[in-house]
Amino acid sequence: MIDARRLTRYFHRHAVVRDLSFSVQRGEVLGLLGPNGAGKSTTMRMLTGFLPPSSGSAMVAGIELDGDTVELRRRIGYLPENAPSYHELDVASHLRFIGRMHAMPPGKLSERMAEMADMCGVQHVMHRPIGELSKGFRQRVGLAACMLHDPECLIMDEPASGLDPNQMIEMRTLIRRLAENKAILISSHMLSEVEAGCDRVLIMDKGSQVAMGTVQELASQFRGAQTIYVSIKDGDHRAVLSKLSEIIPQVSINVEEGKGVANYTIRVQEADEKLDEAVFRAVVDSGAVMTDMRHERESLESVFKRLTSGGEE
Amino acid sequence: MNQVLALACKDWRISVDTPVVYVVAASFMLVAGFVFGSGLFLGGQAELRTFFGWLPLLWLFFLPALAMRALAEERRLGTFEVLATLPVSSGRVVIGKFLAVMWQVLLLLLLTLTYPFSLAVLSSVDVGQVLAAYTGALLLASAFASMCLFASSLTTNAVVAYIVGFILILGFVLLEKASALMSSALQTSLQLFNPIQYYELLLRGVARPEDPIFFLSFTVVFLTAANFQLERRRWL
Repeated sequence: MIDARRLTRYFHRHAVVRDLSFSVQRGEVLGLLGPNGAGKSTTMRMLTGFLPPSSGSAMVAGIELDGDTVELRRRIGYLPENAPSYHELDVASHLRFIGRMHAMPPGKLSERMAEMADMCGVQHVMHRPIGELSKGFRQRVGLAACMLHDPECLIMDEPASGLDPNQMIEMRTLIRRLAENKAILISSHMLSEVEAGCDRVLIMDKGSQVAMGTVQELASQFRGAQTIYVSIKDGDHRAVLSKLSEIIPQVSINVEEGKGVANYTIRVQEADEKLDEAVFRAVVDSGAVMTDMRHERESLESVFKRLTSGGEE
Repeated sequence: MNQVLALACKDWRISVDTPVVYVVAASFMLVAGFVFGSGLFLGGQAELRTFFGWLPLLWLFFLPALAMRALAEERRLGTFEVLATLPVSSGRVVIGKFLAVMWQVLLLLLLTLTYPFSLAVLSSVDVGQVLAAYTGALLLASAFASMCLFASSLTTNAVVAYIVGFILILGFVLLEKASALMSSALQTSLQLFNPIQYYELLLRGVARPEDPIFFLSFTVVFLTAANFQLERRRWL
């Protein structure tokens, strides 16, 4: 549905997006993640035909970017950053205007307006001027407007911006529901939002792709050190130590003993999902009793920070 | 065509929801009423010539005010991104905007219909002459409105758009006023491109087939320039 091939965009000789390639299939949500100025919005603007790429190409909903862009825009729904809308118009007039621009027949338009108002929770503000609404409601109006014509592809620039935590959860649920038969590209600089709502994530920094994959793939690929704290009593501590060293060769273990309890700090340089199991087994095999076990793992936030400009600071 | 009308209706709806159009209409009627009244009461002439003679100067002040927000405000508020990603060409966007401005111009001209009607009570009115004058006023407004729309496409600041539109119209007004100081050859060639010259011929009752073609061409040139400007910005 969306197939970007080496998209590049320059603004005054400065590359804002450089050689970006990715694809989004029907039924999939791809999250563009990156700090402010990473090139997410420019990428989206290129895919909607708003900005022409300086080089590279893309096919969106079966239309090449350098082809019939009017037809392309008919097939996509785009929610720009901050959901700009006409503040003087009431919600119904705004939606009706968008529908008329999509050449929707009046009957169908009224039907879809009611459906979208219900779906986005704006039915009780339909006759209020948009300028009087809160940012969250304006965001919902923008969302309703971009889905009004039931597009094949949805491109949304920071759709959860300005929403409260409950609204963010509703938005995620809505996006997941829509993704059943659409290709969805969303951007965000909030990791938790992308982690919870997207099938795959593309991390951008300074206009380039720095990582792409599912959240799990990125976690296992980029998560660094992992530390496990274990408290044990009874049993042979030396046996535990030798067993652990045997199972995990690259392990560093620090032991503090006192009052019949030994506190182990087990640290490995590369995170391993099976480490917990191995530690548990080593303790049990040595005949000791485990009284506490907790993790400390590099968060995805710090991975994101390390991969993007934030890590340089 | 439906999209163009939808856009024009949207702009019209926004304009009547904001005070700008009411302020412009009230100020226009105040000045126009003064001009008309001075001709009638001070000049003692029951005719519309004074009002229509002053109309290019009225357009100089009021048309930039009607058109200044058309494209500049869309770009300032970010709604242009919404508009430009709807399935409509930028050419149609410009035409829709132009129509919305012309509807406001039409509203102003409709308000001035009280003048010929009140004159008709006092004396006989040459209906043909009045129609020709109103047609000329509308054609002149369309030429100037297209220039102001072009000015609005150059910036995201409505005040700057007003000033640029004002200066563009002022250029033609000054050209008309300064024509007496020029050599006849220069005067003829410059006036060939001055819409005020064509308008004044219409006021004198000289209706030539090339006049509407000139106004139409003039309007199309500036609307095309506005469209070009919108397209060009995408490539910067």
